[in-house]
Amino acid sequence: MTVTAELSQESLLRGYRTMRTIRDFEERLHIEIANAQIPGFVHLYAGEEAVAAGVCSHLSDEDWVSSTHRGHGHAIAKGCDVKGMMAEIYGRATGLCKGKGGSMHIADFRRGMLGANGIVGGGPPLICGVGLSAKVRRSGQVGVAFLGDGASNQGTFLESLNLSAIWKLPVVFVVENNGYGEATGQSYHQAVEDIAKRADGFGLPGVTVDGNDYFAVAEAAGIAIGRARAGHGPTLLECKTTRFFGHFEGDTQTYRDPNEAAEARASRDCLVAFRARVTDAGLLAGAALDAIDVEIAQLIDESVAEALAAPWPDVSELSTDVYIKY
Amino acid sequence: MIQPSPEIVVGIVANAASGRDIRRLTTGASVFDNAEKGSMVARLMAGLGATGVGRVLMMPAGGGLAGTLIRRLDSRRDSLPYPELELLPWRPTETARDTDRAVRELLERGVAAIAVLGGDGTHRVVARGCGSTPLLALSTGTNNAFPELREATVAGLALGLVATGRGGPLALRREKLLEVSVNGGPRDVALVDVAASCQRFVGARAVWNAGDISELIVAFASPSAVGLSSIAGLIDPVGRYAPYGLHVRLGDPETAPMRVVVPLAPGLVVPVGVEWHRRLEPGGVAALGGGAGVIALDGERELELREGDRVSVKLVAGPLTIDVEQVMLQAAQLGVLRGPITSAVVAEEAQ
Amino acid sequence: MARKLSFLLAINEAMHQEMARDERVIILGEDIAGGAGGSAGNDEAWGGALGATQGLKTKYPHRVLDTPISESAFIGAAVGAAASGLRPIAELMFVDFMGVCFDQIFNQAAKFRYMFGGNAITPVVIRTMYGAGLRAASQHSQTLYPLFTHIPGLKVVVPSSPYDAKGLLITAVRDDDPVIFFEHKAMYELEGDVPEESYSIPFGEANIVREGGDVTVVAIGRMVQHALQAAETLAAEGIQIEIVDPRTTSPLDEETIYESVESTGRLVVVDEAHPRCSFASDVAALVAQNAFDALRAPIRMVTSPHSPVPFSPALEDVFVPSPERIAAAVRDVLGAKSGSRR
Repeated sequence: MTVTAELSQESLLRGYRTMRTIRDFEERLHIEIANAQIPGFVHLYAGEEAVAAGVCSHLSDEDWVSSTHRGHGHAIAKGCDVKGMMAEIYGRATGLCKGKGGSMHIADFRRGMLGANGIVGGGPPLICGVGLSAKVRRSGQVGVAFLGDGASNQGTFLESLNLSAIWKLPVVFVVENNGYGEATGQSYHQAVEDIAKRADGFGLPGVTVDGNDYFAVAEAAGIAIGRARAGHGPTLLECKTTRFFGHFEGDTQTYRDPNEAAEARASRDCLVAFRARVTDAGLLAGAALDAIDVEIAQLIDESVAEALAAPWPDVSELSTDVYIKY
Repeated sequence: MIQPSPEIVVGIVANAASGRDIRRLTTGASVFDNAEKGSMVARLMAGLGATGVGRVLMMPAGGGLAGTLIRRLDSRRDSLPYPELELLPWRPTETARDTDRAVRELLERGVAAIAVLGGDGTHRVVARGCGSTPLLALSTGTNNAFPELREATVAGLALGLVATGRGGPLALRREKLLEVSVNGGPRDVALVDVAASCQRFVGARAVWNAGDISELIVAFASPSAVGLSSIAGLIDPVGRYAPYGLHVRLGDPETAPMRVVVPLAPGLVVPVGVEWHRRLEPGGVAALGGGAGVIALDGERELELREGDRVSVKLVAGPLTIDVEQVMLQAAQLGVLRGPITSAVVAEEAQ
Repeated sequence: MARKLSFLLAINEAMHQEMARDERVIILGEDIAGGAGGSAGNDEAWGGALGATQGLKTKYPHRVLDTPISESAFIGAAVGAAASGLRPIAELMFVDFMGVCFDQIFNQAAKFRYMFGGNAITPVVIRTMYGAGLRAASQHSQTLYPLFTHIPGLKVVVPSSPYDAKGLLITAVRDDDPVIFFEHKAMYELEGDVPEESYSIPFGEANIVREGGDVTVVAIGRMVQHALQAAETLAAEGIQIEIVDPRTTSPLDEETIYESVESTGRLVVVDEAHPRCSFASDVAALVAQNAFDALRAPIRMVTSPHSPVPFSPALEDVFVPSPERIAAAVRDVLGAKSGSRR
């Protein structure tokens, strides 16, 4: 279970590719939304990539994650098709959810993506169910609930900590603490600084790591997921991270120091740090990373072009997929 | 009772980071929460106020810690002689950079001494910048070798006596320091131990797997310590103030010439193999074996190495720390604290 | 072979048979076994707060789970487990408690299939107790199936007899959509013929409980029993009512209702729920819209009032639609009372 074994070139390239894909996907959406091309609410994940990539590096398609309204990063890290996601966000018939879900409801059960979720705190109880299912069926699967610092005040989260602890469920709660619940700063919305401490009150271990550091997240998540798989029960993993954009696209962020996001981009960009460290350590050549950058830029270009060219859903789809049989 | 004098200023560095030790998952180590750290600072300040310290300069600390502290001070300020509290006026980044910056600014402001509340890691960062300013080293967790677990009120009294020039001749001790150089240039320091890990990245920081460690250099090593230094402590104990350190080469516990069972972390007792060990004399330099990896300082992975980097460790003189036991013993012998109000202060704070 | 069985034991038998048939079926809820962690060391002290789950824990210790009093977590866990390979039956002791877990039902379970573009199955059953009559007052007596019926993506089952309870619950467990299964707390002792063997009753197929040519009475759940009592009284007066029990409010068998109204020309809808935006108002609106030409009299709704369920027996007894009020409404639509319209 040492990280060393996971620092193969293949694994490092995969981690970088995931983070780069998320970053480019989100930066591009930011531009396209400004062009009024995207309907509805979109919440961007840029800045938090190391969390999704580090955690999901330990998961397979058989494992499940529940996500949040800020869910694009989790979906990409969990292996959802990028073009299908883009088309979904554009509301097209070729979207992963046929255009019926949109940004806040991207799911792909074949990839163990239980869905982005428009309800803050909606996911943790569902992940308890995933853990229960894995435990009853002795399947060896693990469930990971991503949630934010805002959701960590919801009763659903606290109830889920308790339920998972008493049943020793194979689950991990990953709190992405980006310092804001919507527009409200963490120092106002909760009286603890380290949300991981909440685990103490429920009898499971909790730990806080630097969520901008892929290696810190990957190591801690590896331990937590390993504990879950070995039958040792749930873990609360808090990743301190930063939201490069506002709560939603169009958020003027007047609640934020105007330099805060820029300062985070300059000093705590997970992609910049990753590149510097793997090349300094001689584990990867810069050229290999450059090649991924080019490839992903092209993928995102194609995704947008194909989404724009894709048909809208037929109106006959309005009332299909409500039930399996009715 | 001496009235606090605004001329007498001490610094406080309290690390608000807590629950960040991966050993909470792997071994069950525990740390104090920020509310308790805030309370510790308040108790410390009761001791400072009672001994005449008029002003405390403190590193800004995250909401929980500073918030608790300020609430506690507000509720008691009227009845007890607390020093004025001044938080350094910047927003913390919650990284070691805060500590570096705070120590620099405290020295510029001429503090008489610095109280440090934290673990080995926090003390290490303070030690690399504090020069000859004495430290009061207080532990805020169960996993530390350098700072002491001690009631903050008493520690505050001792610190106050030192700051007001009444600490006595035995008040200060000279610690040791391990200076780490990479490719000949000094890079960082450690107070307790330097370990070479085969991990490639700092990652979750703590060293929690004995199998990752190939080499260990300790400044001191007690056989009753917990942590990496216990490996040295259990094969050749090195007193905290003994004039040498120890260099240990580790190996596979199955094949190494010596095998020792050690408490590597709270709740974690494991066998380790020892290839050889030798003493490191003052000023002596030990080269760590080649190969890229990570250097852990005082139990936390800190330095990521590049292929071919050469790492050497030198044992040098370290910071001065306050010997609370000696200061209080002398205070008792000389009757420094004999007076009407001091015992009341202590009694109230204990409640 | 049919024999007399109570409503409670019919439900119990359905769960025993489904757990034996399919090992993906699990049951979870508060005190469904009762006694875990107690000083008596008996993990099945209760067999359910009302006994519906008795005998299951002993037989399937790893598939019958007592939960903490933590509805959001365990209802959500049932939904998540359904999405990831199990077929859970969750017991939400009183439907009134949905207030603390409704998000997991109507925003999660009900929406998955649609939001995810048909790329989800959520075979969860939530069994829950409803209805007045046990002096349980406002927070333990409500009839809330209209709230669930309103939500696309949920199926809502309201059985009126032990036979239906068993057959409909078996269907619910085998159904791939989320099902809310309503059990009237005053009906658990009701006995009726129930075959021993496993059988299922399809959703969306109404049952003509009693045939008659004068007035169609659409009733559901416990109100079917009250309608049957009213029918006896009315028969003695020479009035034959046809009682239609839709059995499920979602899906709803509209056709059988229209066919009956077309033959009788008169409709009374009986519903224990409050009158506004209710099952009764829904059926009344559908008939008015789709079978207006068949109507020979205004539709009458017999419901509880637009007020919470009272505690005092003196008040609760007049809260629930009684056989007498049903009979009066039937006479009314027949113009038997003076002052009736038409």
